[in-house]
Amino acid sequence: MADRIFAGILFVVALGYTYIAFFILQAPFQYDPLGPESWPQILGVVALLCLAYILVRPDRDRFDLPLRTGGRLLALFVFLMGYGYLYQPLGFIISTFLFCLALSLMLGARPLAALAFSAATGVVGYVVCTVLLELNLPAGPIVRALS
Amino acid sequence: MDAVFSGLASGFATALQPFNLMLVLAGCFAGTLIGALPGIGPINGVAILLPIAYSLGFPAESAIILLAGIYYGAEYGGRISSILLNVPGDAGAVMTTLDGNPMARNGEAGKALSLSAIASFVGGTFAVVLMSLFGPLLASYAVTFSPSDYVALMVFAFASLASLVGANPVKTLLGAVIGLILASVGIDANTGVARYTFGIPDILAGIDFLVVVIGLFGMAELIHLVEQQARGQLKTLKIDKSFVTMADLARTKWTILRASMIGFFIGILPGTGASVASAVAYGSEKRACNNAPSFGKGDIRGLAAPEAANNAAAGGAMVPMLTLGIPGSGTTAILLGALLLFNVQPGPLMFEQRPEVAWGLIASMYIGNIALLVINLPLVGLFARMLTIPQQYLTPLIAVLAFVGVYSIVGNAHDLYMITLLGVFGWVMRKLGFSLAPVILGFVLGGLFENNLRRALSISGGDWTILVTSWNAIGLYVLTVAIIVVPLVYSRYRTRALAEGDADATTDAPRS
Repeated sequence: MADRIFAGILFVVALGYTYIAFFILQAPFQYDPLGPESWPQILGVVALLCLAYILVRPDRDRFDLPLRTGGRLLALFVFLMGYGYLYQPLGFIISTFLFCLALSLMLGARPLAALAFSAATGVVGYVVCTVLLELNLPAGPIVRALS
Repeated sequence: MDAVFSGLASGFATALQPFNLMLVLAGCFAGTLIGALPGIGPINGVAILLPIAYSLGFPAESAIILLAGIYYGAEYGGRISSILLNVPGDAGAVMTTLDGNPMARNGEAGKALSLSAIASFVGGTFAVVLMSLFGPLLASYAVTFSPSDYVALMVFAFASLASLVGANPVKTLLGAVIGLILASVGIDANTGVARYTFGIPDILAGIDFLVVVIGLFGMAELIHLVEQQARGQLKTLKIDKSFVTMADLARTKWTILRASMIGFFIGILPGTGASVASAVAYGSEKRACNNAPSFGKGDIRGLAAPEAANNAAAGGAMVPMLTLGIPGSGTTAILLGALLLFNVQPGPLMFEQRPEVAWGLIASMYIGNIALLVINLPLVGLFARMLTIPQQYLTPLIAVLAFVGVYSIVGNAHDLYMITLLGVFGWVMRKLGFSLAPVILGFVLGGLFENNLRRALSISGGDWTILVTSWNAIGLYVLTVAIIVVPLVYSRYRTRALAEGDADATTDAPRS
């Protein structure tokens, strides 16, 4: 079933891809026998054939994911999206601190150790990346206040 | 021959510059560390560190020397977690657990680690030597390839991928097609038509390679690690005082040589890397020893064979990448993408146009293999301690590294969402039995495949028979048919053999 759902979703996407390749993509003028649409046409047809095969003969029946693990993964997803959302406004140090704290606590770290680890990752990570490696990271309020 | 020696000499001149030498050592050290961490293999390590290496602003040859060091270093370090934890770092290290872990449980952990280090060294060095001899030859032959020959080569690459990698060929093929489809997004260089951009300006130039790599490998791995976390604590075996003896080496010398040979040639086949090579080497070694009952219970030959093979395969996989521009494995696909980021086009002309990159990389691999042997024999205790790093701290660090890498290059927050979403997609695919290496291979080769097909048809004026007119192309199509048919026949033969009671479990080992 899991295979069928996944393949079904991809089938719809591939159908859209192939439709665009056959009916919408077009070069205003071209000298070559193959235009911009030919390659996507080939790819779309091959993808649809593969997906049709999987729909007819799926080999994964169950998507083995216990509820508890699923909840954890959902939390991880929220953490990651939140990390990305806060990355620029809060700066690397604070957003990394919050993300590491949340994730390490969820994975069973002791609170005090998690606090020390997250603070160290934020501060040391920022100094190493920006000063030693000269990478571009969001500064955020802390660094701006200090400089 | 002269060209090889002068090339090597100039390569060593590049690789022995103090800065590059330091990068070789740093790459090997970091690679061994990454390989030793349970659950993180070469491909994830290279994927996570690629953007950072890119944004450091090194010259192309230095960056590729560093990344390659991480690659074969991780191939080397993978044995540590296989032996001491019975948890392979990646699919290529699975076979190492079969005899390596029993040896450690029998109180021969030190011997297992030192013997596998030497086997890895021989396998790796063997591959580099063959690579420096045959690489330039293959490159000078490949210069004569026409666009239609390239199309045939690409068909062969994807056929061998589908036939040898993963359990379900249709899923592997679909993975490759997904990669090709992702690569087709963006402005078409020949006509200037925007394809599948839906008016989003960020993807006019195509989907960013780094975003795809970090998402599919770094982030998907992170989600996988969190999923596995519930399984409880891992127990590390102690390293004891035992060490490899001359008698052990004498007993395994032919094993190691045979396995290196198998590993190198399987590594060359496009798309098939260390995982297939080590499985085949283990299986054939077991057969060569008449299925000795000691296999699987701590036989030194069963440890030496896969280790020599997976390191030889890592070198072998570089050959088509450097000479044809077609990667031999998922990880070399990422290295190829890295070269493209540096505006170096891997392929037959690289040995002439950018000799410092091609030969510098090869020379650095000689140095790197020696360095790995030297740091692995005495420092193995240090790396073994890495195994006890609690997962709850390691896991967040992967995400932090991935975010740093992507942000420092693209500098906007949208791509941070993008890698997370791609990570979820990659994780779902993995869970449904797809392997991700074909996706990245398809993504990297998409442009090359399409351009050669279009060029070939432009040359012939739209006549499709040009694809099968040159002898090179015909030879490649014959090979394509062979690589699809031979495994099918072989597996049917084996099923019959199994039915007759001659059970051979090793070839059923997990494949990536």
